[in-house]
Amino acid sequence: MQKPRPRVKLPKSVSKGVPFTVRTRITHPMHTGLRHGRDGKPIPRRIINRFVVRYNGEETISVDLERAVSADPYFSFEMAVQESGDMEFEWVDDDGSVYRLGRRVEVKS
Amino acid sequence: MNATRRDVLSLAAAGLAALAAGLTGLLPVRPARAANETQLAIALFTKGALPLEGGVRIKAPEIADNGGAVPVQVSAEGARRIALFADGNPSPGVAVFTFGKWVKTAASTRIRLAGSQKLIAVAEMADGTFRTTSRSIKVTAGGC
Repeated sequence: MQKPRPRVKLPKSVSKGVPFTVRTRITHPMHTGLRHGRDGKPIPRRIINRFVVRYNGEETISVDLERAVSADPYFSFEMAVQESGDMEFEWVDDDGSVYRLGRRVEVKS
Repeated sequence: MNATRRDVLSLAAAGLAALAAGLTGLLPVRPARAANETQLAIALFTKGALPLEGGVRIKAPEIADNGGAVPVQVSAEGARRIALFADGNPSPGVAVFTFGKWVKTAASTRIRLAGSQKLIAVAEMADGTFRTTSRSIKVTAGGC
């Protein structure tokens, strides 16, 4: 399996208190554990089971994923902030790996 | 071969059932085999509380061409958490969204649906009560 590549789309600068959209995606097969490979052997379950977003260290949104979430899990949500900050994105894999991404958001005065 | 009367009857019944399933249309709604499992999963989420109807929204297409990636948005004003369940999937749980600071209590994602079925969203509100809604989706090509 290729190493999952996380991706995040959000504006670099935002206006104070004005909602903006955050789009996130990570390349990941999200193996359900229900399928069989070409060799007829079952492919073991391997999914991203948790996704967390923090803004200046405080949790903004988190998701507990089951295997019914599509491959290359995609999430989007809206938020509004009062001050500039650092945004952290974290994806947790069944195998224990954690994939991280950081973004800076500037609030225009 | 020693076919007992019981074998023969059950085979015949299976054949009839298959025929009936075939006749109900091109898009048979998946049997709610997991219905009790879904109820159980919801009860686990609400810790046994009965959710009230309304106050939550599921936005999704009425007909999805690709069951492997069906776009869905859940939202509930004033929710702390929203759980999404798929009644006709091999297992009912889809995702639980927990909302913290700065965020609107709505989220979009893409999910797998094994066939035409009912989606159920249950929201835990800030006051600890639960709200629910459901939505039927037709899936032309399952994706599990």
